[in-house]
Amino acid sequence: MPTIVSYKWTLINNLKISDNQLEELLFKLKSEVKPIDADHVEIEVNNDRPDLFFPYGIIRAAKGILGKELGEPKYDIKQSVYSFEVKEVKSRPYAVAGIVKDIKLDDESLRELIQFQEKLHITVGRKRKKVAIGIHDLDKITSTKIYYKPLPLDYKFIPLNQSKLMTIKEVIEQTPQGREYGNISIYDGLSPAIVEENGDVLSIPPIINSDKTRIDEKTRNIFIDVTGTSFEAVSSTLDILVTDLAEMGGKIELLNFISPSKFEFSPLLRRYTVSVSANYISKNLGINLSLNEIEKYLRMARFDTKVLNDVVEVTVPPYRVDILSQIDLVEEIAMTIGYDKLSPKDYTIKATGKLSAETELIRTLRDLSIGAGFSEIFTFILSNDKRLRNEYVSIVNPVTVEYNAVRNSLIPTLLNFLKYNQHAIMPVYVFEIGDVVIKDKRTDTGYKNSLRAVYGIMNSKVNYEDLQSRVHQILMSLDIEPTYKTYLDDMFIPGRGAKIIDTSKSVEIGVIGEINPVLLEELEIEFPVVISEIYLDSLVKR
Amino acid sequence: MLSENEIKILSYLKLKKKANAEEISKELGLPLSSIFSLAKLLEEKGYVKIGERKIIRFELTEEGKKRLKEGFPEEILLKELNGQPSLIEDLKNKMGKDLEIAISWARKKNLVKIDQNRVIPNTSNYTFSTEKEALLKPESADEKVLQELLSRKLITRKEESKLEITLLKEEFEEQNYITQLTSELLRSKDWKKYKIREYNVEALPPYFPLAKKHFFRDFIEKLKDVMKELGFTEVNAGYIEMELYNFDLLFQAQDHPAREIHDSFRVDGLGKIDDERLLKEIKEMHEKGWKYSWDPQIAKRLVLRSQTTAVTARILSSRPSVPFKGFSLGKVFRPDSIDATHLIEFHQLDGVIIQKEFSFTDLLGILREIFYKIGIKEIKFKPGYFPFTEPSVEVYGKIEGLGWVEMSGAGLLRPEILKAMDIDANAGAWGIGIDRLAMLLFGLKDIRLLYANDIDFLRKMKVRL
Repeated sequence: MPTIVSYKWTLINNLKISDNQLEELLFKLKSEVKPIDADHVEIEVNNDRPDLFFPYGIIRAAKGILGKELGEPKYDIKQSVYSFEVKEVKSRPYAVAGIVKDIKLDDESLRELIQFQEKLHITVGRKRKKVAIGIHDLDKITSTKIYYKPLPLDYKFIPLNQSKLMTIKEVIEQTPQGREYGNISIYDGLSPAIVEENGDVLSIPPIINSDKTRIDEKTRNIFIDVTGTSFEAVSSTLDILVTDLAEMGGKIELLNFISPSKFEFSPLLRRYTVSVSANYISKNLGINLSLNEIEKYLRMARFDTKVLNDVVEVTVPPYRVDILSQIDLVEEIAMTIGYDKLSPKDYTIKATGKLSAETELIRTLRDLSIGAGFSEIFTFILSNDKRLRNEYVSIVNPVTVEYNAVRNSLIPTLLNFLKYNQHAIMPVYVFEIGDVVIKDKRTDTGYKNSLRAVYGIMNSKVNYEDLQSRVHQILMSLDIEPTYKTYLDDMFIPGRGAKIIDTSKSVEIGVIGEINPVLLEELEIEFPVVISEIYLDSLVKR
Repeated sequence: MLSENEIKILSYLKLKKKANAEEISKELGLPLSSIFSLAKLLEEKGYVKIGERKIIRFELTEEGKKRLKEGFPEEILLKELNGQPSLIEDLKNKMGKDLEIAISWARKKNLVKIDQNRVIPNTSNYTFSTEKEALLKPESADEKVLQELLSRKLITRKEESKLEITLLKEEFEEQNYITQLTSELLRSKDWKKYKIREYNVEALPPYFPLAKKHFFRDFIEKLKDVMKELGFTEVNAGYIEMELYNFDLLFQAQDHPAREIHDSFRVDGLGKIDDERLLKEIKEMHEKGWKYSWDPQIAKRLVLRSQTTAVTARILSSRPSVPFKGFSLGKVFRPDSIDATHLIEFHQLDGVIIQKEFSFTDLLGILREIFYKIGIKEIKFKPGYFPFTEPSVEVYGKIEGLGWVEMSGAGLLRPEILKAMDIDANAGAWGIGIDRLAMLLFGLKDIRLLYANDIDFLRKMKVRL
């Protein structure tokens, strides 16, 4: 979840609340707040509310919950003299632009604005792949006609924080932003660009702005371009930016929008309506609310509402990208009421539950294993592939070689356990029941979990029969008649390993044997070990 | 009170009055070391006196043995001379380097004299019986001869001290004791002849490695019981999962940040989806909800499941009959750095309840019930966000000494998902992280201890009632 650092006094003074109230308020808005220093707080905001990535977005929502302002705020919107024309840009076809005037920036709000842009880049922007934002000082733009169009890579401009003209190619090759984002925008030797009529570059999204239009504390009027691969995403991102700035006191101005879309002005500031009935609310929330109450809570959530017959018609503001359908309004109402004010309904049990057949077998087997004198261990599913034999599942992106594969047998994990317990008071009798993963063409993933049990004895002297006698009785108790067939395998001492057969079904249900000293030496185990692994899948009673 | 072996020793001493430890050891067939300690005990009890006696022992050396067999060099010399003088030169040829020793001792004993280069015998009938007898019985040999033999290294002399045990008290209880009652003694009724020795029953016992169930496994089984008691049926699925069930069916957009490579473990290969209707419905749901072009190939990619909600997704895709209450408790896998509070594999308990009538406050009620049964009596709810639920809630539980800890994410399943799965009902779902919870409830400082490779730790672990 994104976290933003906010100047605390902006929030406190605008909302006229105490520190404690701030924490409570933000909790109600799905957010958590932590103090950083006397003047700053860190706020964890949820991904679905990008409008809260800027303190004024939080203030707008909080004012509703506090009942200080209800319904959707009305911002003055004027037509500007500027136009924005979108030409064909193959790699990132969508672009919108907006103007906000009369904003007052200081070093805190400037930092918060840049942070807002960055958080939007990471989340809705999918690291600028889907959406990129350029914020410019409008007063430094010379012409009123601004274009979004492709430019050749030898086109020159002075990028942000540079002092000399550079070609786009140089920017891509020589700047950190160029190296990081160049590969997602260049297509056919062309780069997307925001350009003035006179040819001056404002930005080459998603890489970098020009130095010419950089913003600072003195900036009062700004121009914002938002470009990307999804029209929905770029237009809603711009709506979020301009409305949050309007909440800060800015005046939104529209540009003439010349594009393949049907829209004539940008930003689009689109609203839509969702209708919700009292019945729907009570069905999903489990409490009965009148239409008036529903209206009241939704207006506190900063929605404009209208009662039409038996439904409330809700207008979703342009910045509320999280409202997909009426169920989202149910949550809005619940949040406004406060989750702490909702009383959980008593749960009545109408039917008895059931454990899986695997769980039933696991429980029986645990009891029998304890009865046979084995202590239970519990090890990881992931393993170092060096310990595994035969076919196993490798992880494509492991975080460490120690866990780069999925175990296909419990024997390696048990041997590994024994290796680390040679200092213990002997004898060591241990068992584990757990899943391993094996290939299986019959499943839709091509793999399946296989339930296994493993038994091991380590002592200064131990033999096949010490373990066989115990495992035999465990299996007999499960109504299995085991027989043993000599099994030659590197893992066991020749002549001291066997396959265990479920005689009545003629199914192989496991192996047992004394571990070969060659393997013990490899594992640095200086005690003899006997091990048996039982395959439980055929023993599960369905 | 006397032990069986103490009585044996006293009985032996009763006949001999006095004996040394070796002798007793040999006669009674007890190891010498036990005789020492037993004698000490008897001395403490006042039955015997232990005295030390010095014994001088002589031993024939290899050289001594040789001389006993072949004769002393001077003896051989006399034989060679046979009463006649002889040239040293000639004798040397016959006797070699022994000649020097022979001449030296023969002169000391005044048996020969040297005249220029000749050896002249003084006698021809000297017998060496004194020396030979002394070799055989050094103890009774003449001191002078003994000294000679010692200086010639034909014998060695050793001083040994021996424990001599002298009986002081003739009277002792001759009742026989046994330490172990045996079946044989019972059958033969011979046990009546003995007294059974007392133990120091107040001493602490030796260590016994008790076989124990694993505490964390027990906790997991307890949670399953809680869910069963609440009317839920257990469902399981494999660790290797298609993204379809791990993400797509759960309304997680394909370019959602949580689906990036660093957030789940990938496995090579693609799964199979035969259910064309399912594919069509999921495509529609994504394209309508998130407005992008949904790719079925991405849905077929394989991951190690990152949430047990994948099992819930499988339940939904099977279009279960309503009402349905299911739960799944199992491992999930997520890339992370491993430390005291983070693991890359851990357990989740996911539950789903599908019912014609089911509201958000019903869900809160179930969550309260589950946590109460787990032992978390105080919980609070916070609004949350999950792509597949609305309204969504995060559950915080109060842990003594720690305060509020996030324990679960829950919510009503989004209608978009239910519609896609053709389920005409409401549904609630939740996921609870189990390992962190267990760590807190067991008071462990390190989450890795839940999977400790240390049998001592497991042996020492207390059982929680």
